[in-house]
Amino acid sequence: MSNPNGRDILLDCRDVSLTFGSVRALVDVSLTARRGEITALVGDNGAGKSTLVRCVSGIHRPDSGRILFDGEETAFHSPEDARDAGIETVHQNLALVEDLTVWQNLFLNREIVRRFGPVALLDRRAMQARAKRMVSALAVNVPEVRSRVRRLSGGQRQAVAICRATGFSSKLVIMDEPTAALGVQETARVEELIVRLRDEGHAVLLISHNFAQVMRLSQQVWVMRAGRRVGGRRTADTTGEEIVGLITGAIEN
Amino acid sequence: MTNHSIRRPGRPYTGAGLLGAVGRARHLGLVLALALLALVGLVTVPETFATTSNVVTVLALAATIGVITVGMTFVIIGGGIDLSVGAVMALASVWATTLATQSYGPMVMVICAVLVGTGAGLLSGFLISYGRMVPFIATLAMLVAARGLAERMSDRRTQLVQPGNSALVDLSSGRVLGLPPIVFVFAAVVVAGWVVLNRTTFGRRTYAVGGNPEAAKLAGIDVRRHTMLLYGLSGLCCGIAAVIIMARTTTGSSTHGDLYELDAIAAVIIGGTLLTGGRGTIGGSILGLLIFTLITNLFILNGLNTSDQLIAKGLIIVIAVLLQRRSLRSRT
Repeated sequence: MSNPNGRDILLDCRDVSLTFGSVRALVDVSLTARRGEITALVGDNGAGKSTLVRCVSGIHRPDSGRILFDGEETAFHSPEDARDAGIETVHQNLALVEDLTVWQNLFLNREIVRRFGPVALLDRRAMQARAKRMVSALAVNVPEVRSRVRRLSGGQRQAVAICRATGFSSKLVIMDEPTAALGVQETARVEELIVRLRDEGHAVLLISHNFAQVMRLSQQVWVMRAGRRVGGRRTADTTGEEIVGLITGAIEN
Repeated sequence: MTNHSIRRPGRPYTGAGLLGAVGRARHLGLVLALALLALVGLVTVPETFATTSNVVTVLALAATIGVITVGMTFVIIGGGIDLSVGAVMALASVWATTLATQSYGPMVMVICAVLVGTGAGLLSGFLISYGRMVPFIATLAMLVAARGLAERMSDRRTQLVQPGNSALVDLSSGRVLGLPPIVFVFAAVVVAGWVVLNRTTFGRRTYAVGGNPEAAKLAGIDVRRHTMLLYGLSGLCCGIAAVIIMARTTTGSSTHGDLYELDAIAAVIIGGTLLTGGRGTIGGSILGLLIFTLITNLFILNGLNTSDQLIAKGLIIVIAVLLQRRSLRSRT
């Protein structure tokens, strides 16, 4: 911890490894993410970015290595554990249930209930009211909370997914390709949201294939190739060319 | 994506309470079909159709499959199917009417039927969720095996409810507010099913697991456990249905409930629940079931051929699915 900003480090992965059968998906991956920063994670398809994210968000358990969050060692057994710790993930496929409404998706598996003895009934009114406050804070093309996700545009869906990730006092928000499926205008709006998250003090871990976006938004870039972390740069000290070189292996760290 | 201009806002919200009117409109077609059938009854057999005894007959007939239909609705919304319901009900009725069980009295018979049903359901659910078997296959195996076990236990004989346990039969022959108690059992199961599906986390999870299992998993829902519980719930309903059929027929038999699975699935589909999961309502299923029951009743009252009755039911399933597909297209 020689880094003067060491105490700002929220997520600290150390030598994380994970093997699926004979496939070494992650090999001794170490990286950090700081509060109030957007940390980018880049690499080719199959480099292990999503697998690492899945370890951090409690879906996979690493075979070896440690993941420290907020200074404490973690041992997540489920996405719920990670969520309880303050890690929220916006998955690539958005992970929304299309046949449920916006508010039902926002509160999926964290429903507000009222207890009547042994019976717990959903407090629909409270959830709808809170959902309305959550989405109105987005200011992006606000969707009606009682409409089904099936009826929303791509940008609105992304907004709902981000809203779900940020609306519950999270510390770290992980975004897996948040703008891959969006048009130019919607991308700009989602980028605004990401910057706002950072400015509110969240740590953001951004996976992206869009180098312009990475250079524009992030403060730190980590590069992965074939399951290994092959490089890390402060965004201000690097160029798009150097990052591409690291990704393809043309530049050895 | 979809064209915004053809969207009809405010139509199909999942069970939104304050949009009760909208919810009713969604089932309007089913209610109209039911009214049409009632009209046919009033015109063709005016002297027998609108009598108290006929209403009681229809409701008592609907009660058995109705209870099963509630469980089936949960399973299908959750993305599965349960072919074993009729056989599991038969097994529960046989197990509850063995002389050994009967010696403990009617209360134990009821508990036995419910436990056997739930146990069989959980076993199917276990094979499907943890054994990764296709629901169609696992419950088909349960169908065959449960019927076989019921035949073994009863020696293929019809087992009578003993005179000492006639309290059980009173559930059908007795009258509370002019109706047999089994009708109230049916109503209670429907109401309980509706509350669980629409007002509890269990119900919400059922929609999520059927609609997008991957998303449900990422949200932290234990999809396997929930799937198993859904089949357990279906089994529980079969156990309750077994109590109703023992009361109605005063017997337990391995032949009870033959092809009930088809009637229950048909009722659920006619009621607007998607076979692919994620969408559906209890109310729709019950309306679908009442339509089916009323058709049976009309054919019997008019002295018509039961084979024609089957043809009519087949046609109704086809029409219902075609209409459903049209309304789906306008929704999405």
